[in-house]
Amino acid sequence: MSWALHRIDDRLIHGQVLVAWGARLAPVRIWVVDDGVAASPWERELFQDAAPGIEVRVASVPEAAAAHAEEAAAPGAAFLLVRDLGTARRLADAGAAVSEWNVGGLHYAPGKEKVNDYVYLNARDRDDARALLLAGVRLTVQDVPASRAQTLPALDPALAS
Amino acid sequence: MSATRDPEGNPGEPPPVSRVPALIVTHADLAEALVRAAERVVGRIEDVTLLSNEGLSRADLEQAIDTSVKGWKQGGLLLTDFWGGSCHTCGASAARRHGEIVIVTGINLPLLLDYVYNRDRLAVGDLAERLQAKGRDSIRVQRGVPA
Repeated sequence: MSWALHRIDDRLIHGQVLVAWGARLAPVRIWVVDDGVAASPWERELFQDAAPGIEVRVASVPEAAAAHAEEAAAPGAAFLLVRDLGTARRLADAGAAVSEWNVGGLHYAPGKEKVNDYVYLNARDRDDARALLLAGVRLTVQDVPASRAQTLPALDPALAS
Repeated sequence: MSATRDPEGNPGEPPPVSRVPALIVTHADLAEALVRAAERVVGRIEDVTLLSNEGLSRADLEQAIDTSVKGWKQGGLLLTDFWGGSCHTCGASAARRHGEIVIVTGINLPLLLDYVYNRDRLAVGDLAERLQAKGRDSIRVQRGVPA
């Protein structure tokens, strides 16, 4: 089982992922699944160089969905990063079997409501979250391994209804 | 602050370039604390901009960096805390839209002090290479000798 962490975080590869989760789970590969990054040769290169000693694969949603089962059987631990709940939902719709997402950082933007210090949601985010929850996917809010894990519906009463 | 000459450099050398500006981007309030510490050593430091990634998405951090560096006419330095962090990768994205901006990651106090002493003397590319070497060389191990 190679998948060690599926994470929703608008910073994609960054310190918490590389240092805190990296130290805990020792990934050998990180998949950055993002249509925008995948379409930009320059951004692909930026992320591929961002994690010295770890292989970074940049993929579009359809590419990642197609490779997801094969990666699950590969040796070594792997992370998969997406920037928002919508991408997580599209990945599920495209056939990737992800039973749990770590919600690690959805920062403030205009029109978003605060759920906790690092999670802010708007109506569209909540639609995406509901669709994932309805499909039986767990959404666990936890920025770093040392902080307490809580389910997204427990933190956001709007999702419980 | 007035001391701008490299104490190890050639004192007769004319200053060939204008001051290289710097933006320090870090987690939490590290940038502010580093400059405060550096000022304890050399006195007031002007012309350095500070930024924290606290609470910012990629898009907002990139935008904040972009706003800070767009006035630089002849390039400048982005000093960030570590390679692969959001300060570095967002800095790389923002820097791409402006002239010669060079990023040095792994900022520490000796590196920052060396920047202050050499920013009026070296062009941005040479300064970045010097700071990389200075930052590395400053990390040393002193083993205790039993009394």
